[in-house]
Parts: sequence; C-alpha cells; structure tokens
Amino acid sequence: MKRELLFLFVCLLVLSCSKDSETEVYVPVLIQVEWPENFPEMAYNLDNNPLTEAGFELGKDLFYEGKLSSNGAIACAFCHEQAYAFTHHGHNLSHGVNGGVGFRNAQPIQNMAYQTSFMWNGSASHLDLQPIIPITSEIEMGETLSNIIQKLSADSEYQEKFERAFEDGEVSTENMLKALSQFMVMMVSSNSKYDKYVRQEDNVILSTIELDGLNTFQQKCTSCHATDLFTDQTFRNNGLPVNPLLNDTGRYEILEDPNDLYKFKVPSLRNVAVSGPYMHDGRFATLEVVLDFYDAGAVDNGNVDPSLLRGDNTYGITLNDYEKESVIAFLKTLTDNEFLEDERFAEY
Amino acid sequence: MKLLKYTFAFLACAAITSCSSDDDNNNSEDLTGQTGEVTLKFDNGVGDQDFIFGTNYNKSNDESFQLETLKYIISNVAFTDSEGNTFMYPTEDNVFIVDETDGNNAGEIYITLNNVDAADYVSVSFGVGIDQDRFALGADGQGDFLDEASDEGMMWSWASGYKFIRLDGTFSTNTLTDEPLNVHMGSVGTSLDNYREVTLAFPNTVLVRDDASPEVHIKADIAKVFDGSTTANFVDGYDQVHTDVNETPIIADNINTMFSVHHVHND
Repeated sequence: MKRELLFLFVCLLVLSCSKDSETEVYVPVLIQVEWPENFPEMAYNLDNNPLTEAGFELGKDLFYEGKLSSNGAIACAFCHEQAYAFTHHGHNLSHGVNGGVGFRNAQPIQNMAYQTSFMWNGSASHLDLQPIIPITSEIEMGETLSNIIQKLSADSEYQEKFERAFEDGEVSTENMLKALSQFMVMMVSSNSKYDKYVRQEDNVILSTIELDGLNTFQQKCTSCHATDLFTDQTFRNNGLPVNPLLNDTGRYEILEDPNDLYKFKVPSLRNVAVSGPYMHDGRFATLEVVLDFYDAGAVDNGNVDPSLLRGDNTYGITLNDYEKESVIAFLKTLTDNEFLEDERFAEY
Repeated sequence: MKLLKYTFAFLACAAITSCSSDDDNNNSEDLTGQTGEVTLKFDNGVGDQDFIFGTNYNKSNDESFQLETLKYIISNVAFTDSEGNTFMYPTEDNVFIVDETDGNNAGEIYITLNNVDAADYVSVSFGVGIDQDRFALGADGQGDFLDEASDEGMMWSWASGYKFIRLDGTFSTNTLTDEPLNVHMGSVGTSLDNYREVTLAFPNTVLVRDDASPEVHIKADIAKVFDGSTTANFVDGYDQVHTDVNETPIIADNINTMFSVHHVHND
C-alpha cells in the first residue's frame, strides 16, 4: 500500500512537471468486482492482481485478439461467444487453427473468480495460468507465449495499453495473463430472475412451475449443483456411456488415478438454457435430453458417483414428466440477460 | 517521458533512503553492504560417467536408456552461513531451467546469482520444480519465466503446470529395444505436489565478498532418477512418467538424491 502511494505520488509529480503527455503513464484506477450476497467467497486472490480500468480494458482487447493464435484468426472469443454465456454456440466440440477439432465442449466463462479449478478435468487450478492451455494447444490456438509477446510488442497500440495497465509497463506474458484474468474476474453473472428472487429484489417472484422446479431441484440436484454457483466444484462420474471415439477418461488424465475415471467437473448451471450443447462432449443438444438421461440413460461404467445409485441398483435421478418440465422452467430462471448483453464484455 | 518518470522515481527513492537512518547493529562489520556473485555450475553425469546425449547408460534390472532431452527446473536457491543466517535469492529471479544443451564444452550449465550478501556460507539449498506458494501467485511475479518454461517445453499444454524434469529418449530391456522413454514429472495445480528441496553442505566455506565470486560445482547423477531411494524400472511403467499420482512422487524423491557438491572455488 505504501509502495502504491509512493508511486501515485511519483506519477503526480511527473504529471505536474510534464507538458507533453503523449506517452501513456500508469495511473491505476481501481475497479471493484461484484461479490453478490448469495455467492460463496471469491477464490481468486486480487492482492496479486488488483483490478484496474486499464487492466480490464486491455484484458478485453486481448480476449478478442486474433494475434493470440498462430493464424491470427482464433481469438479466445472464437469459442467463447457472449450471447451464449461465452460458449461456442452450435458446436459440441470446438475447432481451432489448422482445422483442428478439440475433445471437449467449450465451457462458459462466468463467475471465474469464484471457481477453484478450471477445465472439465480441472487441469488448471489458477485462473492466470488457464489461458496457456488453449493458447499453446496445437488444435486450439497453436501459438507460443513468446511469439505472442513479440507480436504485441510490435504493435504501438498494445505498447500504450500495457503502459497504461501495469506499473512496469512491459508487454510481457505476466502482464498479458494478468490482464486476461482481470477481464475474466469481472465477468460475474448474478442478475438472473432467480438471483433477484433469492435476494428479494425488484419484487421478483417465481411462477408456480418455476417454484415447483426449484423445489425438485433442491431435492434431487443440489448435492452436486450446490450453492448459488450451482456447482460444488468437485469431479464426478455421472454415468454417461463412454464414447469410444473419444474415450475421454476425464480427470483420470491428471493423476492417472483409477478412482478418477470418467470424472468431470460439476458444471455451474448459470445461463444453462443458452449454453448448450451439454455434457463434457456436448452430446446433448437440449435440457430435455439431459434430464431424460438422468432419469433413464445413465449406465454403470464402473465408477459412477454413489449419490446416483438408486434402490433398484441402477444409476440415475428419477424424474417424472412434470418434474422434468418444472426443473427446466426453473433452470431458465438462471438466464442472466444483463450479463449476456453487458456492453462491458462485448466486442463492439 | 518514461526516462523522466524513472528519474523521479529514483529521486523519490533516494530521498526516502537518505532520510531513513539505518543504525542496525551488524556483527560482521567488514561485510556490511558488501555483495558478490556466486555461480552454481550444474554438471550432469550418470554414475561416474559424464552425461552425453545419445550415449547408452545401463541401469538396474538389466535395463538401459539414452536421452535426447535433459532439463530440470531449479528454484528457491538459498545459502546458509556459518552463523546460521540464511540468504534467500530474490523470489522473482529465483527460478532457473538447467538444460543440458546450454552446457559448455565440459557439459556444465551455469546459474549466476548476483548481489548475494557477503558472508561465509556453509551450505546451499534449492528446490527442484515450482513450489505451491510460487504456483499460487499465478502470473504475478513470473515475468518472463512463463515464456521461457513454455518455450523450453517445461509446461504442459493440456494442463496448467510445470514439468519439473524432462527426460526424453529411448530405453531397452532384455526383451525390448529402443522404446520411447519420456519422464515429464511435475505438480498439477494443488492436487499433486511433487516439489522437493535439497540442502547440500559445502566441502569448504564459500566466501562471498565484493571482490570474490566463488563457483560451486554441483554434480547431478541422472542414474538416481531411476535408481535413487526407490528403484524405478521401465518395465513397471516408469518409461512414461507424467502426472501419475503414484509414480511421480517416487521420481521426485529419487531426483532429490541426485545432487551433490563436488567442490567449490573461492577466488
């Protein structure tokens, strides 16, 4: 804090002495990230990367920047479109540079600051370092960190943006990743109809069928889709039949622990109505198919989550037609149009 | 403009430093304010042989291996002096990749440490890999190391984490010939911690002074990766070591036994 004050002092000195203010200087304008009262505590440590206006704006530019990929065309936003809660609409698996096709469905980018791990198998445990995975993946963005820095350093606009955003002003990987994190940390979705209902704002009430759905959801779904993030952030095997073409072992990849076979991170259900297709491989196009699967489609692949075991020794969650209909009505109340249309996160 | 900014920053710092009185008592008066340079020379070998790319080396269980890549990450270098005080090299600069291809003709890879406090040092300690505290910083304070590690192939592209050691080559057994050998051991986030630290006593005191730049010759016996505190055989799956929860701690523990200080030069 002292250092920051000193620096502000120095900046002020410089500003007051200089007449030609053509070169940009670092003048940190701190911004606040939302902590909605119905959310758990933030996992991201802001002390290491304080959010500033210029840092956020740089992060946004980088998020929409094709230069982060080897062919100049695949920005982060290519697979993460705002209108679909930053997922890749219409793609069960995403494609990247050189016609590469990935193995998993692009996940939404929202409420990242509250997540303790990232990716379907939790292969990233720090938000700052997560972008390295898609950037360096040959089938996604196919680029190297040092090459990106070279490209950005040669761009006078980016030089200025980095100078504005960071104290050392350098176009570096550290600052690039920090800026991306600042952008993502700010992406909080917490103003759905459901949120306003639980926070008792604007006299919002849920309809009968939505309330019935919420009730069923609380009885049958919240042991995994817990808290108002709608995930307990654990890894679980939900009994999906294994697709032999992909043979995706999920979290097993990480520690090669047989107990982790076919486990994937429990996804948040915020904006779920707009972020299909569903499951780690995007095999289900609609929420109806998802609930039909839980009711009658799960198979014993050897490691299914015990919470899904039913009295008749099959796996799944028994749901009648009305329960399915009402749960879907409830899930639609998690759509947050303010977030999906928030201009702060929009490319244009 | 930028220059001006730095000038003012410097002046501001100078003003503050000159105002503060540092009358702290220091027993070793002679050394106050003195710093020196220490060079750690890493020298990879296999048993009593020097390590050479493409050379076939025997190990236990009638197995052998030869390598085309040999790199590891060293971090958190600290020296302890004869009075028990520890000098920790500044965290932001305290991480290095020892890459055999960077070696001189004698196969020695230099890590040069500047501005080490002058003292009579009796031991050095360092870690292999990236510790949880450093990893938890995310991008903060990593500077160019992320690029360097990524360019050197010391980061995974499928997970966010560092490979602490990277051995690529082939192995042979009684029944197999020249099968792929890849040891890419590291930590994965917070779920698997394979960071280990080693402390090595110096055979004679390392004297760091303004005008003395000692060199520490550290031998690394690569044979210990497989024949260290635990024997790791290729036929049992140690030909492909990545993030396996059972295999990787064994390799990490083995690596921790491979370093020794051969000699030091005080000049």
